[in-house]
Parts: sequence; C-alpha cells; structure tokens
Amino acid sequence: MSELPLSATADAALQVAPATSARGYWATVGRRILRDKVSMACAIVLLLIFVSAILAPWLGLEDPYKGSMIRRLRHIGTSGYPLGTDELGRDMLARLIYGGRLSLVIGILPVILAFCIGTSLGIIAGYVGGRLNTAIMRTVDVFYAFPSVLLAIAISGALGAGILNSIVALTIVFVPQITRVAESVTTGVRNMDFVEAARASGAGPLTIMRVHILGNVLGAIFVYATSLISVSMILAAGLSFLGLGTKPPEPEWGLMLNTLRTAIYVNPWVAALPGAMIFAVSICFNLLSDGLRSAMDIRN
Amino acid sequence: MLIKTTARAALIAALALTSAAAWPRAAGAETVLRIGMTAADIPRTLGQPDQGFEGNRFTGLTMYDALTGWDLSSADKPSVVIPGLATEWKVDDADKTKWTFKLRPGVTFHDGTPFNADAVVWNVDKVLKQDAPQFDPSQVGVTASRMPTLASAKKIDDMTVELTTKEPDSFLPINLTNLFMASPAKWQHFYEKAEGTDAKAKSQAAWAAFAKDAAGTGPWKMASFTPRERLELVKNADYWNKARVPKIDKMVLLPMPEANARTAALLSGQVDWVEAPAPDALPELKQRGFKLYANEQPHVWPWQFSRVEGSPWNDIRVRKAANLCVDREGLRDGLLAGLMVPASGTFEPGHPWRGKPTFEIKYDKPAAQKLMQEAGFGPNKKLTVKIQTSASGSGQMQPLPMNEYLQQALAECYFDVQLDVIEWNTLFTNWRRGAKDPSANGSNATNVTYAAMDPFFALVRFLQSGMAPPVSNNWGYINNPKFDELVKTARQTFDPAARDAALAELHAASVDDAAFLYVAHDVGPRAMSPKVTGVIQPKSWFIDFSPIAMQ
Amino acid sequence: MLAYTARRIVYVIPIVISVALVCFLLVHITPGDPLVAVLPADASQELAAQLRAAYGFDRPLPAQFGLWLLRALHGDLGNSIATGRPVLAEVMRAVGNTVTLAIAAAVIGFTMGILLGLIAGYFRETWIDKVATSFAIAGVSVPHYWLGMVLVIIFSVELNWLPAVGAGPNGSNSWAWDWAHLQYLVLPAITTSVIPMGIVTRTVRALTGDILSQDFVEALRAKGLHERGVFRHVIKNAAPTALAVMGLQLGYMLGGSILIETVFSWPGSGFLLNSAIFQRDLPLLQGTILVLALFFVVLNLLVDIAQAAIDPRIKRG
Repeated sequence: MSELPLSATADAALQVAPATSARGYWATVGRRILRDKVSMACAIVLLLIFVSAILAPWLGLEDPYKGSMIRRLRHIGTSGYPLGTDELGRDMLARLIYGGRLSLVIGILPVILAFCIGTSLGIIAGYVGGRLNTAIMRTVDVFYAFPSVLLAIAISGALGAGILNSIVALTIVFVPQITRVAESVTTGVRNMDFVEAARASGAGPLTIMRVHILGNVLGAIFVYATSLISVSMILAAGLSFLGLGTKPPEPEWGLMLNTLRTAIYVNPWVAALPGAMIFAVSICFNLLSDGLRSAMDIRN
Repeated sequence: MLIKTTARAALIAALALTSAAAWPRAAGAETVLRIGMTAADIPRTLGQPDQGFEGNRFTGLTMYDALTGWDLSSADKPSVVIPGLATEWKVDDADKTKWTFKLRPGVTFHDGTPFNADAVVWNVDKVLKQDAPQFDPSQVGVTASRMPTLASAKKIDDMTVELTTKEPDSFLPINLTNLFMASPAKWQHFYEKAEGTDAKAKSQAAWAAFAKDAAGTGPWKMASFTPRERLELVKNADYWNKARVPKIDKMVLLPMPEANARTAALLSGQVDWVEAPAPDALPELKQRGFKLYANEQPHVWPWQFSRVEGSPWNDIRVRKAANLCVDREGLRDGLLAGLMVPASGTFEPGHPWRGKPTFEIKYDKPAAQKLMQEAGFGPNKKLTVKIQTSASGSGQMQPLPMNEYLQQALAECYFDVQLDVIEWNTLFTNWRRGAKDPSANGSNATNVTYAAMDPFFALVRFLQSGMAPPVSNNWGYINNPKFDELVKTARQTFDPAARDAALAELHAASVDDAAFLYVAHDVGPRAMSPKVTGVIQPKSWFIDFSPIAMQ
Repeated sequence: MLAYTARRIVYVIPIVISVALVCFLLVHITPGDPLVAVLPADASQELAAQLRAAYGFDRPLPAQFGLWLLRALHGDLGNSIATGRPVLAEVMRAVGNTVTLAIAAAVIGFTMGILLGLIAGYFRETWIDKVATSFAIAGVSVPHYWLGMVLVIIFSVELNWLPAVGAGPNGSNSWAWDWAHLQYLVLPAITTSVIPMGIVTRTVRALTGDILSQDFVEALRAKGLHERGVFRHVIKNAAPTALAVMGLQLGYMLGGSILIETVFSWPGSGFLLNSAIFQRDLPLLQGTILVLALFFVVLNLLVDIAQAAIDPRIKRG
C-alpha cells in the first residue's frame, strides 16, 4: 500500500541505461537475474500458481462452485478435501486454485493498464514540458494527495462493487505514481546528447519520444511498475475483502477471506488459507522486483 | 452440519472465564441488562428509528409510544393491534377519510411536559407538513412509507385529534404503530438554543440535539448515548401503564453486527443477551446453560413470481407444483438447525388474516410431479426458471444455501433452477423496478423477504394490480381482478372484525392462487444468560422488555 | 526558510481545492439514489422526489459543490443522511480513535524498523542482514488484513490471551490507558505496524549502508574516531530522510486504516468510511474522505518543511 520508493530519481535502479548498448545491457541483466537464487525460487512459485490457475479445469479438481450442506467447514486434511471445505461446503483446494484466476487478473491488470497510461502521460509531460507538463503533473499531484488505500476504496466505494470497478479504481491509483516516475526519468534524458542529435537531424517529437526516449526510460519505469504488483494484489484482494470487489459466488482470494471470516471460531485455519495465497504471490513479486532492480543496478 | 471441536469448546470456556474476570459487572443493587444487537449502529434515537424493525424494537418501542401499539404479552397468540396513547378511535360515518382518536389522559413525556392533542399534531407534522419548523426529511422516508395514506392531523380538543387520510383506508390504526410521539417541548427547547443560519439548519441542529437527549413517553428513558457504540436506557418509574413499568433498572444496547463476535460476547459475559446468535454455536450455547428463544415472526421468505407475458409461472399448475415440491421440514431440521417455521402462506393458521385456503401447501412430491406432467414437463423436458437473489441481506436468512436447497428439491419436479446472485442492495432496488426491467436480467422470480405485520406490506403491495412498478412492490405484475376487488373491500371495511375477515379472504385467495413460492418464516432467534428471566417472545418482530428481570 | 514555508503553503491551496472537488465528484457521479439510507425501497416516487428536494439533491451539481465547499470552509461538512448527526463531529471522533491506533502502531513499527535497519546496515551482507531484510520484505508483502485475522486466530481464538474485536470493554468513549483497555489495542496496533516496520527497516538499512560505505567514514575511522562517533555521524546523516519516510508512513496509517479497522471493528475513521460506503451516506462519505485526504496533505506539507529545516539542500518545489 505504501511501500513505494520515496522519490523515483533518488533510486539507484532507476538510472537510465546507456542507449548504445541496450541489447547487451539487457542480456547482462537477464544473466544476473538467472543466477539469483531467491529470484528464481520466486519465479518458480509464481509460475506454478499461474499455470495451475490457467489449467485449473483440467486438473481433476472438485467443482469450485458446488457446495453441500452436509460437508460444511471440514478441517484441513479431511480425506477427499485436503484443504478442507468452506462455509458452503465447497472444496477449498479447488477454490484456491480457481481463485488464482480472478485474483491474479484483478491484481496485475491494473498495473499493466497503469503502466501503459502512466508511461505515455509521463513521457509526454517530460518531453514536451511547459504548460502541458504543468497540466499533467498538477493533476497527478491531486491524486497523489490521497493515501493510495483511501483513494482505491473511495473510488470503488463510489463506483460500487464489481470486478471491473475495482480494476478501474486501482488503475486510477497507480497511473499518477507511474506518471511521476516516467516524467522524472524522461526529464532526465530529454537533454542528453543523443536526443539533441536526433532533434538536430530533424526527427519529429513523436518519433523522438517513441524511438529515442521510450527505449531509454522503459526499463526504469518497468522496474518501478513490477514493485507495484505486490501492492496491487494486496489492494485488489482487500477491496474484495471489504465487499467492494468480486461478488459471490466467484472464487477469489480476497472475497474468500471475507466470507470465511465468520468461520474463524469454528474452523480457523481453513479461514486463513486464502490470505496465505495472497501473501505468497505478493512476497514473490516483491522479491522478484528487488532482484530485477539489483540486476539492473549497473554500479554493482 | 454443526461442527464442534474440543479445541473450540475449550476456547470458549477459557474465553468466558478470563473475560468475565476482566469486566466486573455494575456494582450494587442496580440491575443491568446488556444486549448485543445485530445492527451495525445504534438505531436512530429521535423517535423514528432506522435499521428496520430492529430499530423500532430497541429505540422506538422502548423510549416511545405510538397512538396504537402491539400486544406483545403472549408467546402463543398472534400479536394484534391494541390501544396505545389513544384509548379509542373511530372513522367518521359520513366521510370515511376522517378519523377521531381519543387520547389517553394523564400521560407525560420524560421531560415532564404533558402529552396532548397538540403533541400528536406536532408529531404528525414532523413528517408530513413540509413548512412546519419541526419537519425533518430524514424521518419522512421510514415513517411516511409505513403509513402511506395519512394526510394531516387536527386538534379537536385537548384530548381529541382528527386524522385525515388521502383515501378511505381501514388500515390506518395499524399503520399508526409506526408514528412515535416525541416531546415537542423538549425539541422546542433545543430549537431555540440552536445556532444556524436559517430555520432549516436550526431545525436539523435541534433534531441532532434531541437524538442525544431524547424524551418520549415510553417505559424507558434515555440515560446516555455514544453514537455507533452504546446506548443506555433507564427505567421510567412513572410510566403510564403501571403493569409495564420495567423490572430492571437499566438496559445497555450495543451494536454487534458480526454473529461470531456477538456470540463470543455472550459467552464471555460481556453481554447478557444477543440477537441472532451464530447458528453454528447453538449447541455450544445450549450445553453451557444459555437460554435460547425463538418464535414465528411475521416474516416470509418467498420466491415472488413474475407474471409478465411468457413467464413459466403464469401456469397455476407450475406455481402449485413448486409449492408442493419443497420439503420445508427437511430444510428446517437440516440447514437451518430448527431456526425457521415452514410457510404455508403469508399467515399461518391461528392468525386473524389467515382465512381458509383450499390449496394446502405441504410437501407432496408425487402431486407436484403430476401437476408438472400435466403442464407438459417431465424428466426429459425440464422447465428452466431463473431466480434473482443475493448472498446476504437483512431478513434474508441464509439466502444462498437455502436457494441451493430449493434448486435441488425442485430438480425432482422437473425444474432447472438457475440462480442470478447479485448484491443485496441491488436486489432490493430491483424489487421496485419490476420483472420487466432490464435489471431483472431475465429472471422470472425474485427472492426478497418481507415483513407481514401490516396488511399493506403483507398483501396489498404485492397483489393489487395498481401496485405494479414503479408504484410499489408488485414485482411480477400480478393482475388479478379478484385480488383487486378484495383489496378494495378490505380497505373500505371499517369494522375491525369485518376488516380482518376481508383480509383473510384476500390471503386465502392468494394462497389458492399460489401467488408466491412460500418457503419459510424467520423465528428471530436470541440467546441469553440464564440470569435473565421473565422473557416472553411473542409472534412479532418486537418484544416487551418490561417484564424481564435479572437474578 | 520562511519564504520556502510560505511558498509551500501557497502551493497547497489549489491542491486542497482540487482534492475537495475530487471527493465531491467521486461521491456524486456514481449511480444510485443518494437517499437510500432514509428512503425505503417501498417508498412512493412522490415521496422520493419530495425528499430529494428537501435534501437539495435536485439542484445542479456545480451548485451543490459550491455550497458544500463554502460550508466546509466554515467548518460545516453537513449532516449525515442516515443519522442526522453533524459529519464533522462524527469524523473527528473517529479520527481520534484512528490516531490512537496509528500512534501505537508508529511506536512499534518505527522502533522496530530503526533497530532492524541499523543492525542490517551495519552488518550488511551477513546473516543478520538477511534475517532483518526478510522481516522487512515480509512486512511490506503481507496482506495486513489477513495478518490481523491470523493474529486473532492465534491470540484470541486459540490462546485466548487478547480480545478479538472492539475498542475497550465499554466502547471507545471511556478509553483509558490501562491494561483492561490496552489489551484491545495490542493486535490492531501490531497489525498496523508491519508495513511501516518493513519500510523503515529498508530505508534505514539503505541509508546506513550508504553512509558507512562513504570514503570519509573510513577516513574518520582511520583518524581513530570512536565507533560511537561514527554512529552519531550515521544518525545525523540518515535522520532527515528517515524522518520524512516515517512522516509519510504516519499519513498512510491515518488514511489507510479501513481494512484493519474493519477486521478489528475498531471505531476509527476507516470503520466510519466503511459504514458510509455501505449505507451510501453521501455527506458522511465525502466528508470522511475529505478530512482524511486533508490530513495527508497537511502531513506531507509538514514533512517537506521539516525536511527542509533539517537539511536546507533538499528544498523542493
């Protein structure tokens, strides 16, 4: 929610990659991250969760929607229900795996959308400068004036519950943050020699932004965006947890946590499972983002 | 289905021990009853409570009286309307829109000022007369919708008022149980002290002040109030009805919206009484000596059918088959752990508005299958029906599991039931938009529970053709000239016994027509410490706190 | 310094007005009847129209906004629709409870964070560092509402040491700083503290590491400066950034308390926001959001000014 780097420019990883050796640079980054054990472990865990979510219908799981009154709230380890059953007698293992589908989409999609929108806005503001910069950045400041949790909840509380609304709300939360980073790195490059050279050779602003700026700032913005995924996962599930995101009976980790909360006196550990999934995904993304950041940090 | 573990039993036992030690009870001889309500906030205290009938139960009928009231003295007999602050009333012979109410002499408000005709007029004006200084729009919604025909009040003499309705309406005395009498003098005092730029702002400020320091005529007086957390009421030793002066000194009301938190609070001795304990904890509570109360409530858990063109429910055989195909006793004993009464109509036998329906609603699967076959369906030709429902909601009991139960039950009678699960507020709003509205999403039944205390809310708004959306809740556009005729008769029959007979005839006709799929009545479960005695839970949404004692 | 402060304050004014506009628009552009809290679904259309007029919801939006802003400037955020109580009083009462929680969490989180951060920074790349940074990364990655639930399961359900929900045996009104009341604060405060703990740890670790790796520290040590002197040097140089981070974290705790307050039924501003959302109580909703956002803006401003006062090099804007 709030684990955002304080100011983008102060961050070592956000240094601009040298334009000439971009391909070699990325190859180095790739090699370095492949050697990082923690990052690789996280990548494998995430891959497992992703693949099982995608392949859920073919894994021979129970129907995640089908409940039964006679087998409500079975404990973990009950035969036939390795992770127990929920408050309506639905198989927890199936719901946790199926739940990955929605949970990952509503957690990651906002960051992707915000990455696209924020990068465009930030590069335009940073490159064009002047009044346009002021207009974009002052608008961004207004949204920045809200704590992100408050903003997300205010927007989705206003729009009402629903998957689409929660994605919109989170995208609006992240656009200003990414715009700020994009603007600041763009401002850093706009007066560099190679941009000057391109300008002197008669390239138009669109070409310069697309060809010369984008390639040089994308890495920094990308690393920043990956650090937002964990926040976004937690917030998206949090919205569902409050009843502002996914609606029943869809399996989704935040919502499952919400509906199982009433069962903590009866079957506490089953009630805690969906949160463990959110935690696992969130910590893996954070570690992976850290790994990427240090792999990209040329100084080391 | 009731899961119980030794670990949990141990937990609760331990919880009870430590917590009881941590919170010493009020010292001395003062008897205090602490109640955990299901509401998330203290219902409004200024006279017209919000939070539905739980509001009326805790902050309406405790601190206030209305002109008419409910008989809450018996657990067996139906709860009927009895005199309250009015001793008698009658409608004008010549003009059936005019009623005279004789007021009870010698009643005073908690602030010592007398209750009289001026006070009644003042209280009617607070919700109906827009240019009155005390007019408060925030109280209008909950009040005016429960007395839809009342138009105005006029003082005849100190102890007599004349009430006028927009059209002849024999339900008025029943409606008036919802208009609570607040002290005009106390409000005026706050109004004069209030700061504000205009009269409207002053009025709002006065009501806000009144809500913190209220005065009615009821058996309980407000002692202290912490918004959203706590309301303390003390007994009114000078209550006009000496038989209903409270036996305990003080009652503390605490909002506890979560069933588990409520139950834990009862077990730990933090409260003495909880509304609607967590169903899974009932065996635990019984075993540990807590007392459980439940009784049939004027509440119906139905499927309300769409009767628009093309709806499968337009065939009465289908409607009857659905009603005969559900094992309600099985639902009660299984899923709901005994906490429901099987519904065979809106009112059950013994109720004055029950009547004598010829169609008997019970579980008879062969008869249901036969009806479906006659209607052209069978094992290989299922009838698809779509039901709009929600996952939670006030009065909805356990909507999803219950609907899944119906889904399974009706599958035996060749129904293919599809559920359209939406948010409770949306479901409730759609209820008013009707089956033809796009919001119905192709559903041909909706699953909104209703309170059945008042004939308008129990019958008229669903059955009369003029009540179709957007006017009221005839969601399915029922258009049955017989119902319309019977509604009209009932509304214009002013002798109470004859009126009740007319209503009974209307109810019987609706059952015979299988107008709804009647499933269950809620039972208002509550659990309390064995120290609480003298509890009578009537067949009502309400309860009288006066005879209750603490040992 | 004075000029800088003045400039920062002037710069905040348009932000405040825009924030108010965003609050208002958020709440008003949305579908749904604003009077759902006081208007039963079975009320007649005539009654609905009458009430809309009585509440002023029939007026054009710009007029409603103007009126609301004008009143807000006079300290009047209107009355809650559902309860009729003045919004400002409701919000401030709730904010008081949130502040109690935030301060308790800040004490825990900041102390732990500074300690862990210093240790990790001093012993960089050792196992001690690894343990401390693992704590930090777990702190920033954990869904704190879930952590709250797990703590309730462990300490209330299984061990029965601490109460699960609420703000004291008799509600927050009779709050006191004794164990009977404090035990209600323990779990929510710990839950709230994990994120600031993680962030402060990471910040302090990075700062400490950076400072210690600078050449002049080596020079100081070579000159025979005591480790205590080095430590003082670290503190002095790390303080401005660390303080800024902590200031912002305090802001996030005040404004982002809704999830934790919901888990623990803590009667603070987040809890209020939650009930305002679900009752669709527009004046309460926009008032609560506005007050919380303004707190955050003011806190940001104070952090900026304090930072500039400590270290004049980092004047911004």
